[in-house]
Amino acid sequence: MRAGFVIRKCIGAISTLAFVVVFNFFLFRIVNRDPVNSMFRGRNLKPEKLAELRRKFNLDGSKWDQFVAYLRQLLHGDLGYSLKGFRPVATVIGETLWPTVLLVGTSTFLAMIGITIGYRAGWRRGSKFDTTATSLSMLTYSMPEFWIGMVFLGLFSAKLGWFPVGGLEDPGSHATGLTKWLDQLHHMLLPATVLGLAYVGEYMIVARSAMIETLNEDYLQLARAKGMRDDEVRRRHAVPNARLPVVSLSAINFGFIFGGAIAVESIFSWPGIGQATYLAVRGPDLPMLQGLFLLISAGVILANLVADVLYGKLDPRVAGR
Amino acid sequence: MKRQSWGIALAVAAGGLIVGTTQVTTTGASSPGATVTLTVGLQQDLDTPNVTAGYLVASYELWNLQYATLTDKAANDFATIPGLAESWTASNDGLTYTYTLRDGLKWSDDQPLTAEDVAWTINTSRDQVWLNHSAVTANLTAVALDDRTVEITSAVPDPKLPTMDVYILPKHIWEEPAAGDVTTYEALDGVGSGPFTLKEWKPGQEWTMEANPNYWQGVAAIDQVVFRLYTDGGAMAAALENGEIDAAHNLPAELFVEMSKHVPSPDLRDGEQGIVTVAGEQGGFTELAMNGMAGGLGDGHPALLDIDVRHAVALAINRDELFERVALGIGTQRDTLGVSPNTEWNPEIPADQQLNYDPAKANELLDNGGYLDTDGDGVREMPDGSRSLTFRYAERSESTQAEGIRELVTGWLAEVGIATEVSVYDDTQLTDIIASGEYDMFVWGWTPFVDPDTLLSYFKCDQVTTDVANPLYNDANWCSPEYDALYAEQNQELDHARRVEIVHEMLTLFHNESTYVVLYHDAETQAYRTDRFEGWLRQPADIGPVLFSNSSPTYYNLKPLAGGTGDDSGDSSTAMTILLIAGGVAVLAAAGFVVIRSRSRRDERD
Repeated sequence: MRAGFVIRKCIGAISTLAFVVVFNFFLFRIVNRDPVNSMFRGRNLKPEKLAELRRKFNLDGSKWDQFVAYLRQLLHGDLGYSLKGFRPVATVIGETLWPTVLLVGTSTFLAMIGITIGYRAGWRRGSKFDTTATSLSMLTYSMPEFWIGMVFLGLFSAKLGWFPVGGLEDPGSHATGLTKWLDQLHHMLLPATVLGLAYVGEYMIVARSAMIETLNEDYLQLARAKGMRDDEVRRRHAVPNARLPVVSLSAINFGFIFGGAIAVESIFSWPGIGQATYLAVRGPDLPMLQGLFLLISAGVILANLVADVLYGKLDPRVAGR
Repeated sequence: MKRQSWGIALAVAAGGLIVGTTQVTTTGASSPGATVTLTVGLQQDLDTPNVTAGYLVASYELWNLQYATLTDKAANDFATIPGLAESWTASNDGLTYTYTLRDGLKWSDDQPLTAEDVAWTINTSRDQVWLNHSAVTANLTAVALDDRTVEITSAVPDPKLPTMDVYILPKHIWEEPAAGDVTTYEALDGVGSGPFTLKEWKPGQEWTMEANPNYWQGVAAIDQVVFRLYTDGGAMAAALENGEIDAAHNLPAELFVEMSKHVPSPDLRDGEQGIVTVAGEQGGFTELAMNGMAGGLGDGHPALLDIDVRHAVALAINRDELFERVALGIGTQRDTLGVSPNTEWNPEIPADQQLNYDPAKANELLDNGGYLDTDGDGVREMPDGSRSLTFRYAERSESTQAEGIRELVTGWLAEVGIATEVSVYDDTQLTDIIASGEYDMFVWGWTPFVDPDTLLSYFKCDQVTTDVANPLYNDANWCSPEYDALYAEQNQELDHARRVEIVHEMLTLFHNESTYVVLYHDAETQAYRTDRFEGWLRQPADIGPVLFSNSSPTYYNLKPLAGGTGDDSGDSSTAMTILLIAGGVAVLAAAGFVVIRSRSRRDERD
């Protein structure tokens, strides 16, 4: 792969990120002008105190002044203070990273079983396995995450009591070590399954389509003609050529890990980025939203960059162009 | 066995392991010495434990428990009762109060709590304009005369005194943060003088408060309180029903009503299992406001300057139906503003002044005022025909009841020939719209403090916004010199009975002006289990909430029931858990081994 290809892609990613920084800043300020008034409504604060709060949150100058101050902060790695409680945005986001990576990362990995199912279904197109797998995938793909989440919560937590209703750990838990991990695993199983179900259909459908596209390729006929077994033809010749769209989808989905899963995290009170986004929108907490959108965008841009580079690696024709 | 079958077996084994493991950890029965934990579910996290910076209701509950006040509020009726101060005397002019602190007061970290802590808190909060102190301390000066005596002088006559319900902070902890920007202090020190102090905060999950061994009334009967965040109200209700939490605050209205139906009786005997639902009033209300345009800003509809039009709007609204269909009967129907959770401040509006649903009378008022439908389109016009009675109606996207209110209210207005153009805004946008005066009507609400002064002050003429960049509190832009004079009188009236009379007069005046049509008084929707604790207190008695009330007296009053489960912190069954883990790991290892063997044999066959 040529170095120029990678450099070109990196420059593209950085430019996109710069655009996102500018866009995010003005997007929130077009929608919301001065959150301080509504935040402290009914608090009996003097106008001077409200003015001081606006100054503190960098909301008092012109939009341009605010933007320059924001950029200056950003270049120093400072995402500002959350409007809720004056806590540093970076600290608040940092607290939500691990639960999200744990939940969304696990469910994304779980959902990758859909790739195997999709390849097999595509390989045996029209078979009973294909019909069943495709129907089930369409079913899970078409069901909204929040709906599956509520059904699972109602059945397995509220009705059967097999799983806790929400959260990362038991209330007031001081468990450490393995007990803590198992407690978290117990809490994670239901939301991770819901997310996994939501993702698995997508993987399966994309993998199946990619596989079907390769079915009539000449190189497969040639492999069979050479006397290779069917399974071997699939593994050695069909799957590698059906990999490109799946790699792309996987990379993008891994990018979304940083975006959390707003619906599922909110239903299961999972203290991740999705829940933080939900709470910040309810504020609205502008500095938090800016920080979160920056992180989410950066995650997706990085994942796309990885996908692009991988594409080039898997298909040298892409890098050569 | 086929490979798929082994996969299924593996999944079942893993699932069984996890389910089994944690079921053991969450249902441990009480045992002597076990930690007694009350778990409360809510839908809001702390914004910060820092009392100079936070403003969310959740944080107030923390401060109510962590910081005692000089005077306390009685659970029944908010009467001022001794707190950190055991007694007080007033000067003849009523401007100076001398408080005597209890003997032997200590902070939770064993440091002595003295008059110097009190004086420092009052003076520093005044000078630095702390968010949650300055409204009370703005005119006060405090001097510590000795360790147990503090003299507080108000620059103006203040009917709120001797009530001193400001959180007293430990000077030895806060002096250093207050030397810089106090609002950035994390305040995780957990040092306080109330019945419980902060032990741990897991943002986005929960915070835990432990009993303060030095609380002046004695250590609480429960060891710790865990406040657990549920972002979904349905999930919180499920957690209450299956016993993961003991109480829930702010349940979704529909679930609350459903849960109330299944309650066997609100007067369960101690130890009897069940869930008690509580619709707790705090004086908060929802109103339809009309633009009075007193500030000269914006472009409110001129018809709203006519009191007959405002009365017609009030008469067109069927508040009984609204209360039943939208508020689902949760709360109370009252005619006037709620200026305090204490109902003694609510006046009775004379029958001949009430503005109850009467569309015929509304039509009559509009007809007599010359607002006729001259073009036959179903909408009335101004007497001079210049424009139709079409009002811009704004509502909050954050409100779960706004849509229901709008459907009914706009329908009723249409029936008397008033058209509406509806816009939906988030709170920030609506605040800006109101400040600019570019509206005709909006639906929002207020929640008052215990003393009515603050809410009454919002409707003075000097609170009308005249500069968009500096919005003030008078959101209906209504101004009445008569109201202002009454406000000034009550603000310095030291005779309580007379002050109540003046406030009644003010509220009656405000009602008769109809700049606000109070739709209903809201209620906090709470529920608690009766199988673990007794001693739930409503503040005020009979109508108030049990949690998140004004001074939160429930927690200290709660006692664990004999036979109820004690420790639910998840630590009690560690040995059993480890045994199960070991067993589970063995099962998984065995299953994995068999799968690998099966695979390798298959490969060999291939």
